[in-house]
Amino acid sequence: MTQTAENRILASPLAKRLAAEQSVDLSSIKGSGPHGRIVKADLAKSPSAPRVTHTPASLPAGEDVVKIPNNNIKKIVAQRLQESKQTVPHFYLTIECRIDALLGARKAINDAANGAYKISVNDFIIKACANALMAYPKANVSWTDEAILQYAHADISVAVSTENGLITPIVRQAENKGMRQISDEVKDLAGRAREGKLMPEEFQGGTFTVSNLGMYGIKEFGAIINPPQACILAVGAGEQKPFVEDGEVKIGTFMTCTLSVDHRAVDGAIGAEYLQVLKQYLENPVSMLV
Amino acid sequence: MTEQKFDIIIVGGGPGGYVAAIRSAQLGMKVALVESQHLGGICLNWGCIPTKALLRCSEINHLFNHADEFGFKVSGLEFNFKKIIERSRGVAKQLSGGVQHLLKKNKVTVFDGFGKLAGKGKLSVEKDGKKIADLGSPHIILATGARARALPELEPDGKLIWSYKEAMTPEALPKSLLVVGSGAIGIEFASFYRNMGAEVTVIEVLDRILPVEDEDISVFARKQFEKQGMKIITSAKVTKLDKGKDNVTAHIEAGGKTEKASFDRVIMAVGIVGNTEDIGLEKTKVKVDRGHIVTNEWSQTDEPGVFAIGDVTGPPWLAHKASHEGVICVERIKGLNDVHPLDVTNIPGCTYCMPQVASVGLTEKAAKKKGHKVKVGKFPFMANGKAIAMGEPEGLVKTIFDAKTGELLGAHMIGAEVTELIQGYVIAKTLETTEAELVHTVFPHPTLSEMMHESVLDAYGKVIHF
Repeated sequence: MTQTAENRILASPLAKRLAAEQSVDLSSIKGSGPHGRIVKADLAKSPSAPRVTHTPASLPAGEDVVKIPNNNIKKIVAQRLQESKQTVPHFYLTIECRIDALLGARKAINDAANGAYKISVNDFIIKACANALMAYPKANVSWTDEAILQYAHADISVAVSTENGLITPIVRQAENKGMRQISDEVKDLAGRAREGKLMPEEFQGGTFTVSNLGMYGIKEFGAIINPPQACILAVGAGEQKPFVEDGEVKIGTFMTCTLSVDHRAVDGAIGAEYLQVLKQYLENPVSMLV
Repeated sequence: MTEQKFDIIIVGGGPGGYVAAIRSAQLGMKVALVESQHLGGICLNWGCIPTKALLRCSEINHLFNHADEFGFKVSGLEFNFKKIIERSRGVAKQLSGGVQHLLKKNKVTVFDGFGKLAGKGKLSVEKDGKKIADLGSPHIILATGARARALPELEPDGKLIWSYKEAMTPEALPKSLLVVGSGAIGIEFASFYRNMGAEVTVIEVLDRILPVEDEDISVFARKQFEKQGMKIITSAKVTKLDKGKDNVTAHIEAGGKTEKASFDRVIMAVGIVGNTEDIGLEKTKVKVDRGHIVTNEWSQTDEPGVFAIGDVTGPPWLAHKASHEGVICVERIKGLNDVHPLDVTNIPGCTYCMPQVASVGLTEKAAKKKGHKVKVGKFPFMANGKAIAMGEPEGLVKTIFDAKTGELLGAHMIGAEVTELIQGYVIAKTLETTEAELVHTVFPHPTLSEMMHESVLDAYGKVIHF
């Protein structure tokens, strides 16, 4: 087979040898040498994980630039997100759910609580995601070269924004937990996440992530997968709009959910079927009692 | 005084500064270069170049003195020492004029004066204590160079105790000479004066001469110099110099004893400090550590908009390092893509003594210290046809590879013309070749460069001619 000039990989002899020894695919590495040539340093940075080195195009000089040092959380999140976006083949599925019934159920529950607790829309979403994963376990998976790992429980990572950076504490076995317990756990985890007091096992692991920017009025967005998980659900804001039902124009509250999917582990049809199950739980939350 | 605006201002016209200026001009920037003495800096006027002119003469003298080995009979051999010095000055002058021409051709505005930082993005230029210009630019590059380090009690007086300047412009050849310091500068002067016929003694505080070189090279060099009649005392210190009328008595401390010895002249070559004084650093955030300006890999100082390159930023004190840093610095300022920081392990070093010394990368000791398992190859000049034919059978080529990856970690050479040969290894190292490419490279026969091949072969147990 002849290689054409266009697809020839530029790499130093030493880089080629190191890549062979470390079983690194040179085509997955961006070189930092002259004309993008892959050099030893590009492999040395991370022996197993391909990375991109970035050289800023021009040098910021003067007082207009403030240096904000990165803490460890920021560095780790940055590295993992970069790795994910570069190495995990993402695709995105978007679905719209009518959540009037969900909002009604939430109101009824919270009214009955009489201030003892307050369930959020996101608590419903966590519960619905967990139940949907149990009903449709093909989406509760991770990709490895040898096999697709399918998980027995739905451990839902919940994206929490803190001053120190993004962190994803986990509601373990959410499928077995009631709405109130989920709500209490999320409040506790998020609170301690903001104080930087989480134990590693409280945010390491998880089989599926929920990221909700609805409270900021974001209509819809696509999230970056949180490896080794295969799916992350990005939840937008609920908003009222007209729709047609039984030949009549009505007003309903709709929420857009976008599932980012690792195509290696979950095919388009599987992702779509999972979203159908999820939609059914979100639109008809009483069915979660079944 | 109205401020003259530039895209870039460079302080110092040595090999760092003038090269940075030319490259800036090529990139379309409006450039000012401020130089208080000579264009070309120490390198061209008082360092690399004039000493090479001198060393060429001592080589010729050596060759004449060994003419009978080649079948020649030379009688009545004489040299005119004054003319040898004049020739060296002439070479420096010619090249300094060349730099002036290059700067003019590239439309670099040259200010003949002393530059001093005068507030954010400002530089004032003084000449004979008077301000002659106010310059302004968002980018100021300090390339002010370095000077010989002076030790207390042992300061050069320019008459009996010389620094490098007096050492290359003496009125007459001293009969006996003490060289304090055996780095590249000390050894080059020692070699020049010895081969011109002076009695030369070298004192080194460390346990070997040419201490930055690989140990095998130090040992080999010492043997050669001693064979030529040089006296070398290592692990020794000069504690005092008593100046007489036309000689100096040195107190030399070695092995717990102090002995006195008298010499016509003394050369002090005990290191280098950066020129960081009087250039207005006090009011900036620029950090100075042990006489040198602290910079990052892009030559930025801690003060935004102020950069520093070359000797003033510390070792290795080499002209080619300064030039390269200058080019990288301005290309980065310009925002060019594909600009890379300088890898110091790829910077070669050359010493033009007899025999010459040249090296790049890690020494064997340094490589082991860094945790490398190494494969080492050695090949002697006396097994090379060309070296024998030339009558230069003294030398050694040593190569060091990482045993696991085959990476060329270092190359160390001593012998005739090795300063011209080393760049073969420098290219190899910069391209990150492994032993495999070097083994498969065809070296021309008969050349000294064949030894570079054989040394690599030796590291992998495949040497042919030894």
